[in-house]
Amino acid sequence: MISLQLILLIIFGLVAIWFGWRVFMTSSMVRSALSLLASMVAIGILFLVMEAEFLGVLQIMMMGTEMSIMAIFMMMYMMDPGGLGQMDMYHQKNISIAAGVIVTVLIVGAALTTDWGTIATQFPGPHEQNRLLGMEILKRSMMIFETAGVTILTGMIASIAVALSIKNSVEK
Amino acid sequence: MTPFLTVFIITLLFLSGVYVAAVMERWSVTGTVNWAGPMRSFLLLFAQEEIKTRKHDKVFFETAPVLFIGVILLTISILPFGRDSVIIDLGTGALFINAALVYIMVSLLMVGWAVNGVYAMVGGWRALAQLIAYSMPVVMALTATVMRAESMFLTDIVESQQGLWNILYQPVGFILFYISTLAITFLPPFNLPVAKGELAGGVWADLTGARKLLFRLGRLTLVFTISAAVVVLYLGGWMGPWLPDFAWTFLKTLLVAASFFAICRFMPRIRHDHLLEYNWKYGVPLALYNIFQVGVVLLL
Repeated sequence: MISLQLILLIIFGLVAIWFGWRVFMTSSMVRSALSLLASMVAIGILFLVMEAEFLGVLQIMMMGTEMSIMAIFMMMYMMDPGGLGQMDMYHQKNISIAAGVIVTVLIVGAALTTDWGTIATQFPGPHEQNRLLGMEILKRSMMIFETAGVTILTGMIASIAVALSIKNSVEK
Repeated sequence: MTPFLTVFIITLLFLSGVYVAAVMERWSVTGTVNWAGPMRSFLLLFAQEEIKTRKHDKVFFETAPVLFIGVILLTISILPFGRDSVIIDLGTGALFINAALVYIMVSLLMVGWAVNGVYAMVGGWRALAQLIAYSMPVVMALTATVMRAESMFLTDIVESQQGLWNILYQPVGFILFYISTLAITFLPPFNLPVAKGELAGGVWADLTGARKLLFRLGRLTLVFTISAAVVVLYLGGWMGPWLPDFAWTFLKTLLVAASFFAICRFMPRIRHDHLLEYNWKYGVPLALYNIFQVGVVLLL
């Protein structure tokens, strides 16, 4: 059955793919970062269409901040003044095309062969969803989330430490 | 009230509120109250020639002003003006406020970068640094109000303040939210992205006509929306004796907006590095302390 929900799902899915494609088809880091943001927002809208309100709003909120931070960090590391420089958004073209094709085939294969079970017709309201999600994060999945959080924090500190030009004290 | 009447009243109150905010903004710059001033500026910008800079990025240049005002309008639609006067009562309302504020930063960055001018570009990156920094205390202060209400519905957050308003229950959170939202509206002590004095107008330096109008109008609407958010989260929302509920929200919102502009008038602009330093070194730890304090009080 084709419902409005399904049509929106297809449209925003295609929008997400289109902007994902645009990320690599531009020669500017700002355009690339904001295309990725648009792609992520489209995924957030997919969550909203599937009535996972919290996940949708969270995705849209987090990606706005994350992609902006990513843009500024990309520019700082690449010494690109103000993001006005031109550079290719891909390298090793043949290998990356091959990797892209293989991963796409694997993902589509996994999506088609997985038994997704019956489609849920009954689901809790947004308030109950928030509560259940909180319970999930603080009980069963706590270890995973904490590990991910600490890993990201370590990554951030390490990348800043690597980028700092600290004068070596041995040098006299 | 019927939904139509609700929308109508909210719209009317909002428009008048934004106009008063425009008068106050003018006062914060010139020190004189001029009731016709905003209308004159409006007509001027409306009729002004639209100058486009050379080699601007068309997509960003056209999208950014619409995105700016669009996210603010989305925020208005979820704020409760009375017990039943809310356009969309969202199950994740508190989070949604912050989600919308993030896109103000994105639109400022987009337009600053798109016009292909040096002042605008510097302004855009400044806006990014400033708004990323100050959205952290905002979301943490929001978390503490959600903890007390045990719900992200904004109506529930107002109901949770029945006995004691959040301004007294979590004063640290209120102060952080108040200052950080002032930074997010980039009003004078924090107006580094659009500072006339030191950056020749920053992000808005090269904008004229309708685009500038959208940004100016958007910022005023933003100030009023943020003030309404402060009222809903910390000042008991629609609660108050005698008057109808939406009147209380409106009056409190005007008062908060007036306090914002009073700060604008009497505070000097903060240096950019100090601005970021204060937030990351003191604002964020204080916000974490606020969550801890509210958590302890809730468990006692």
